[in-house]
Amino acid sequence: MNLMAQILINVIIAFLAGSLLLGFHRKVMARVQLRPGPPIIQYLLHSLKFFFKETTFPKTASIPFYIGITVILAIIWVTGVIVGPVTKGSLMILFGIYAIHKIVEHNAGSSSGSPYGKLSCVRAVFSAAGELPLFAVIAVIFLLTGTMDISGIIAYQSIHGPLFFQLPLAVLMFFTLIVTKSPYSPFAITKGKEIISGFETEHFGMLRGYIMFSESIAWYILLWIFLTIFFGPISVVGYLIGMIVICIITGFINATTPMLNPNHSVMTQISIAVICTVGSIIMIII
Amino acid sequence: MEELYIMIYIIVFIVGSIAGLLLSYKKHMEPYIISEIDVLTLVFSIVGWFLLFNHGLINAIRSVILLTIAFFCIGLAIGRRPGYGRKETAIGILIAGIVWILTSGVLF
Repeated sequence: MNLMAQILINVIIAFLAGSLLLGFHRKVMARVQLRPGPPIIQYLLHSLKFFFKETTFPKTASIPFYIGITVILAIIWVTGVIVGPVTKGSLMILFGIYAIHKIVEHNAGSSSGSPYGKLSCVRAVFSAAGELPLFAVIAVIFLLTGTMDISGIIAYQSIHGPLFFQLPLAVLMFFTLIVTKSPYSPFAITKGKEIISGFETEHFGMLRGYIMFSESIAWYILLWIFLTIFFGPISVVGYLIGMIVICIITGFINATTPMLNPNHSVMTQISIAVICTVGSIIMIII
Repeated sequence: MEELYIMIYIIVFIVGSIAGLLLSYKKHMEPYIISEIDVLTLVFSIVGWFLLFNHGLINAIRSVILLTIAFFCIGLAIGRRPGYGRKETAIGILIAGIVWILTSGVLF
């Protein structure tokens, strides 16, 4: 198939599947809290709705930055789809995408001029520690497999079996990252409800649509990477079941865990990263 | 080509869910949930889940078409207003699962 067509199809799949998974995640949280919850397609309907709503701009916003940052967010996650499911490229590029995502969170918060956005912007810098487990996972996987290419890691697993059983502590680290990135997470300090919607608070209409579009793709890509680098070559049904199971587990965790304060959130993530990295290296050496 | 089919299945499921949501809100405007089994939803659910699990039994039609119909019907049943369509979906999965177990050779 033509590369452009493949990219387009994969972006559509990532957006639609990511939206449905986020809707399902919200449904699980609601059922755990004994509420009926919204329909599964609600997140998708919300995302589409914003593209048709009027876009307004705050007087205090730094306009070029305020608009540009949402476009950058969409571009980096389309790049994520190209590096991930389409070409199965390097994990380092995906790590770079997460690093830019943090910068986007930071700048989206500061460009609006809103005090809620600014607080979220400060927390985005603070919560960069959340990317530490991802870097540690990549390093540990490289030590074992000798490659950072997703296609190479898949090939390694088809010979030696899933990394899930060989690097359980790396799995725990990556799962911490998934929990961190999931909606209503105990670690999601940049979007804590005490600061309304954090860096997204002052983005309206189509700009908010871009942000929601990117978040759907980001969630799909995160789950896709986890399943690919720890379970190896799995079928479409395997991906579907894996993504649903992860949504159920994170839904349970997020529905029953209050949000941690920024210090505790960062220290918990750093502690898990350090313990699991040292443990994984010891396991590889032994 | 597999990715193209996956995209079609997802889109069809979403269209089915939206249709199911609209139909169910048209039928049930009351602010409480009526816990009766809706026959139409049950039929969609059974047809959808049956085709999803057992599309291999029907050789006359291409499996892509059968799966497209299956995802649309499943979306119609699962996408109902919150509180509706759960029992119908469970019955659909149960019947489709029993047929699959009996015909796939898992038991024999």
